[in-house]
Amino acid sequence: MYFLGIDIGSLSCDTVIIDQTSGIVASAVVPTGARNVKAIERSKADAMSLAGLIDEDIAALVSTGYGRRRVAGRSAAVTEISCHARGILHLLPETRLLIDIGGQDSKAIVFDGEGNVANFSMNDKCAAGTGRFLEAMARALEVDIIELAQLDRGARGELTLSSMCTVFAESEVVSLIADGAEVKEIVAGLNRSVANRVQSMVKRIAPDLSCLPVAMSGGVAYNEGVVRSLQTQLDVEIAIPEKPDIVGALGAALVARERALGQGEKRRPTE
Amino acid sequence: MLQQFERTIDALEAKLAAPQGNTPRRRYALEFARLGKRLYDGRHPVAWCGVVAPFDLLNAMGFTSCFVEFVGASLASSGVVDTFLDRAEQDGLVPDMCAYHRAVAGAAALGMMPVPQVLVATSCPCFAGQATMENLARLMERELIFLHVPLEQTPEAVRYLVDQLESMITQITALTGRRLDPDKLARTIERSNRAVAVIEEVFELAAHIPSPSASRELKDFGIAMPLLFGRPEAIELAQVFRDAFAGRIRSGGGNGVTKERVRLLWIQNRIQFREPLVKMLEQELGAVVVVDELNHVTWDPIDPQNPLEGIARRMISNPFNGPIESRISKLQALARRYRVDGAINPCNWGCRQGAGARGLMQTGLAEIGVPVLNLEVDCVDPRSFAEGQLRTRLEAFVEMLEAKSSPWS
Amino acid sequence: MRIGFACAYAPLPLIDAAGGRPFRILPESTAADQAGRILHDNMCPHVKRILDRAMGDDLPELGGVVLTNSCDTMRRLADGWRRARPEERVFLIDLPPAAGERSTRWFAAELERLRRELGEWTGHPISDAALKDSIARYNQLATGLSELRERLNEGGLTGGSPALQRVYNRISTSSLTESLALVRELLAQPTTASGTVGVPVHLFGNVLSDPAVFELIEECGARVVSDDLCTGGRLVQPIPGEKDPVSPIERLADGILSRSACARTMTPDTPGQLGEDLVARAREVGARGVIAHIVKFCDPYLGRLPAVRQALKAASLPLLVLEGDCTLRSVGQQATRIEAFVEMLEETL
Repeated sequence: MYFLGIDIGSLSCDTVIIDQTSGIVASAVVPTGARNVKAIERSKADAMSLAGLIDEDIAALVSTGYGRRRVAGRSAAVTEISCHARGILHLLPETRLLIDIGGQDSKAIVFDGEGNVANFSMNDKCAAGTGRFLEAMARALEVDIIELAQLDRGARGELTLSSMCTVFAESEVVSLIADGAEVKEIVAGLNRSVANRVQSMVKRIAPDLSCLPVAMSGGVAYNEGVVRSLQTQLDVEIAIPEKPDIVGALGAALVARERALGQGEKRRPTE
Repeated sequence: MLQQFERTIDALEAKLAAPQGNTPRRRYALEFARLGKRLYDGRHPVAWCGVVAPFDLLNAMGFTSCFVEFVGASLASSGVVDTFLDRAEQDGLVPDMCAYHRAVAGAAALGMMPVPQVLVATSCPCFAGQATMENLARLMERELIFLHVPLEQTPEAVRYLVDQLESMITQITALTGRRLDPDKLARTIERSNRAVAVIEEVFELAAHIPSPSASRELKDFGIAMPLLFGRPEAIELAQVFRDAFAGRIRSGGGNGVTKERVRLLWIQNRIQFREPLVKMLEQELGAVVVVDELNHVTWDPIDPQNPLEGIARRMISNPFNGPIESRISKLQALARRYRVDGAINPCNWGCRQGAGARGLMQTGLAEIGVPVLNLEVDCVDPRSFAEGQLRTRLEAFVEMLEAKSSPWS
Repeated sequence: MRIGFACAYAPLPLIDAAGGRPFRILPESTAADQAGRILHDNMCPHVKRILDRAMGDDLPELGGVVLTNSCDTMRRLADGWRRARPEERVFLIDLPPAAGERSTRWFAAELERLRRELGEWTGHPISDAALKDSIARYNQLATGLSELRERLNEGGLTGGSPALQRVYNRISTSSLTESLALVRELLAQPTTASGTVGVPVHLFGNVLSDPAVFELIEECGARVVSDDLCTGGRLVQPIPGEKDPVSPIERLADGILSRSACARTMTPDTPGQLGEDLVARAREVGARGVIAHIVKFCDPYLGRLPAVRQALKAASLPLLVLEGDCTLRSVGQQATRIEAFVEMLEETL
């Protein structure tokens, strides 16, 4: 008996399959592209073929992410907040606060040892502090998003960006280049400004981090510069799982397993 | 606008006459469409006002009076607000400003606001409202009367405001020839008091577990009711709600729409345009908005023989006036009274007054175990409504509340 | 004892008369950006930065803080301040939102309340005589500042408008005695030829204290011949009526409420007065255009911009609006617009 979780984000569509003992059997990450229904099919098919399974082997499927209602054959749709909490606890059981920076959203989640969410916050309307912001800045700097993650090495870190708005920041970056500022300094400035936005989101729900081991997930967790800057600003160590981009899908698979096996039914009547 | 109000009145009257058609919310919509008609039909003297203006007193002087934000909300709920917001932007009002006021500015610029006899601005609740009233006075070339509502209720503050109210009455009489008959004012105030008493009964019933009130049933109720104060319909309308809620409780409880699983407190404004999320919360997740912060602005009965002092106290004691602590205590009291599991604050974009202390309010409710979800919504401007993002936040919030034990168990 | 304040409506003579040293909490700081946590991120950067300083302890020792109900955001600052520094003494003045006789009486009563409180803070009860003296000396300061302004406009002030802004900033955080000495010293210096190049403009708006911004504006080819900013020209203005048979508190109340107004002060009898006053002022100083610096999310100013635009247009005075966050960077990004505006003004010569 296997359980499948799918996380449909704005940038990637991730699938994780686990077995009855919650062990990960297979995972797949594909770009979401313009049509998320296609991406869902491909991501699922990739994971199924890696695991060598057929549809009948899957006892339950839970979807998460902004496209969670698009997934056919789901047993339930659960938000990425709950799924990320569940997923990271499975990978790094000490964690009590997770920072997830995805393409469209960034979020901070505080939870207990069972994965019950105690509080969460998400970025405001604007893209600042998300993967999309960094993508726009990579474009302005004419570098690859993967390259961007390394580019701040050796920076003195004296440059501060004032604009948090993507539109303004982009023009600020362009004018900084025109003024002859070094790319590594600009990137370090960008990282600090992303980290600054994220740290204020974290502090909003957890002013004191001393008893809350922190981990990070989402594609931006691969960006060493942002992680380093965030560690400095929050003054904590941040643990990163081996595959930070599958945490949500893993959480969804775990929820699927729990619900199918009749555990973790927490809904309570208010009466 | 007039035609729209007339069409709405016809449609609602037909629905209300049908068997089973007499629902409280329809009756509510009818009374406010009728108010809209009175404002726009050119046959009633009109006073455009700030939110805490003394509407009962103005009614007693024969005015159809209304706070201007009502226009912003009406335009948004009828789905036509975009045109007016666009116009306001062309005139130089930036989208960072409150969209209630942007909509009003656009409506005035496009000739969609009837020119009033007088304008009565109030310093409470906000400075954006003051600027809007000043702009209307300039555009419509009408006298602007301004009431400074002091921040704290001291004897001096009450005297100061009474003094301003007296000047206001004199000034209105000088401008329009309309006098205030003290007996009529006394009768009006008695009716206001009776309406408030029935409204209190409505809230008492709404606090039942499960609540007889559906999520959208009392939307804007308490903030709009003062516009009818002094008129018999205010009491009748409140009675319709009271009787309907009492009936639902007698016949087994609940709101008849959904089985209540999670009880929510809505902070500040509702979203005024059509949106699917509150319905989704209620029908898909059983999360019911049982109480609105803005509804619960009630006060002690006003002495009909000494009405100005009571009116002044009513204006000053508005929880949106004064230190944030009074608003926080009010929120805590509501959370306790209604035994809510969580609270939603839409943080109306551009509202420095209402959303400006959201962190302090959140902490205040967290102290009594009630989590708050802060959203980023412009409650009047639908153009930037991010449905998907908001849905995720709301669903995650309900998931979180369901996993928690109730703050009241 | 330093007494903090954050708005040009703060009654500085009362602080001085109590033996206090006014300390304007300017929005310049390296403190972490965290005010949004207790308020909202969508609040004016001026107030957020001030609260950042309070939360991040980026302040000298203060004997207390005098805040004003100048706008919704300032009102929230008082709430936030009390939360961030519960031990600190805070006095909130309920500043009337409109001028006029009744408002003045209310404001005078508020100042009376503050007078008692300040006396307790500093241990120096404020006598009428002391207050009269402080008002007189602040009037001297106002006269000295307008002489400096005149010298600047004649091209004789070393360092130009950025230098004058430095003076304003020092006055904002100095005792009255130090401020008077500073201005006297500058006036004693021989006039130098800093020149009168550049297109004369009037600077309108709220908070803009960084002298580098004035340098930038002048580098773009404009010359700031007058300003109506709360960190500049509105900070110290004369309190008239020395001979009037009223108490110094009433005089102070009347003087502060009826002087050149911030957009937050309503004019119910003459709606749109702000725009008319602006036109009159720009003409009086011979400005060929107006540059407005409006702090982002500032409702009183943003709400009155349409009327201000109309008034200036009717008077054929060009207007450039810069929305910013009080920093050089936010204005610097708009340098091209300033240059283009100046070029436009030059062409319409």
